[in-house]
Amino acid sequence: MSRDIQVEKVSMVFYGRGEPVIALEKVDMHVPAGQFASIIGPSGCGKSTLLRLVADIARPQAGTITLGGDTPRAARHAHSLGFVFQAPTLLPWRSVRQNIELPLDVVGRGSAKRSARSSAELIDLVGLSGFADALPHQLSGGMQQRVAIARALILTPDILLLDEPFGALDEITRQRMNLELLRIWSESGTSALLVTHSIAEAVFMSDRIYVMSARPGRITSIVDVPLERPRRLDMMRSSAFFDCVNRVRDGLFGHQPSEAVAGEPVEAY
Amino acid sequence: MASTTSLAIFRTSWRPVLTGLILITLLEAAKRVHWLPVFIPAPSEVVWEIWKTPRLVTANLAPTAWKAAAGYGIAATVAIAAASIAVSLRALYGPIYNISVMINSVPIIATAPLLALWLGTGTQVQIAIAALASQFPMLVGTMQGLQAADQRQRELMHVLSASRSQTLRYLLIPSALPYLFAGLKIAAPSAVLGAITAEWAGADQGVGAMMLYALFSYDTPKVWLSVVLTCVLAGAGFGIWAAIERLAVYWRHDVELAD
Repeated sequence: MSRDIQVEKVSMVFYGRGEPVIALEKVDMHVPAGQFASIIGPSGCGKSTLLRLVADIARPQAGTITLGGDTPRAARHAHSLGFVFQAPTLLPWRSVRQNIELPLDVVGRGSAKRSARSSAELIDLVGLSGFADALPHQLSGGMQQRVAIARALILTPDILLLDEPFGALDEITRQRMNLELLRIWSESGTSALLVTHSIAEAVFMSDRIYVMSARPGRITSIVDVPLERPRRLDMMRSSAFFDCVNRVRDGLFGHQPSEAVAGEPVEAY
Repeated sequence: MASTTSLAIFRTSWRPVLTGLILITLLEAAKRVHWLPVFIPAPSEVVWEIWKTPRLVTANLAPTAWKAAAGYGIAATVAIAAASIAVSLRALYGPIYNISVMINSVPIIATAPLLALWLGTGTQVQIAIAALASQFPMLVGTMQGLQAADQRQRELMHVLSASRSQTLRYLLIPSALPYLFAGLKIAAPSAVLGAITAEWAGADQGVGAMMLYALFSYDTPKVWLSVVLTCVLAGAGFGIWAAIERLAVYWRHDVELAD
């Protein structure tokens, strides 16, 4: 089963010591079931906040979010969400296999919510065969993040939420991980929502890209990606790909020449 | 397996053992050529004390050891329970912590005779003092440890919709272990010192009693022997927990593997 993600007029304000910060202002978004969507924007635009609202880690102050018709809370309690954090967030005392099986321990091994794949299959799927009994600190950063992805998939979630999962990886590993993630996603049939800093990554992965601006955090443009699936690396040379990249860049920076944009740089490639 | 373990022990311990042997030899030599005053005995004189009257060691070591262990056990139980309550009930965090700090800052050397006056010189008092002397590091270690899990790990358990008891079992307790063991290790010598101080206030057996008798009779080798016994007890308490920690907190000691 897969769920769609419906975000309607969601607003979120943080009250700190200084001025209140409008993290999100009347954000609307719809990810059809089984699709791959990305959110891209500069730091502080509220894209991670939006993802955390969908995952029910925080509650919006205004607006509604429904996941396949349910509230995020109900979807979370139904164990329908897979979440991959920026950092791997593994439990250091658990082996690779035990980390991947953590959601099974929480749900209860005998429960109705069973995984379609065993942890052994997932370990193969993310390319960690032979490391099942290794501890997290024995793995490189990329390997740890793959464990985190396998952990997010073990309960076959209806919705996969990815918060800059490959942000800390080098470009080569990152591209390989993107391909692996797409392969895993297409086999699982879940809806996916990816937060990223990288324009190329967003275009390569997504069916639809939501471009956000900061202060206040709002969606400024929506780019649909017409590339066919499965995606291949050589598509990154196609004119359709560059067309999408340019449209995302226009959404981020406007049509001005982009060498002198204030704030944090957004990776082009 | 056994041989690799003993090899590992040898590899980590030959330096301190060698250093100790050299120091003892130098001390012995210095004493023989009369460079040292009378109140510092030669190491051989201390060993000779054991040789002369081995019962001195066995009769005094055991009572102190079990009194320290009993007090330590009580302190560990109460401190870990109190710290768990403090962490789960915020309103009690401050009071529990403050009481523990207060108990820890009371000078045992002054209160031990008072307690002995009020409650008698029975073993219960000595056990109680050993407990009071050792509770603080275990309370602080448990308090810190139960709060050691980072925000993301807590959010992970939240997204998995884990119950409170599951979060405790899968996340909070394992991440508390390194801090808990630090507290247990530091507290062990304190319990020994507490028991010995309590024995000064009136015990007929124990390392503390032996120390006091030897001091009053200007028997320096025997004083030093009691110092050595104290160190052995305190070191053993520390070492036992260090060994258990190596097994229990296995994820902190392994070497790094490359990708």
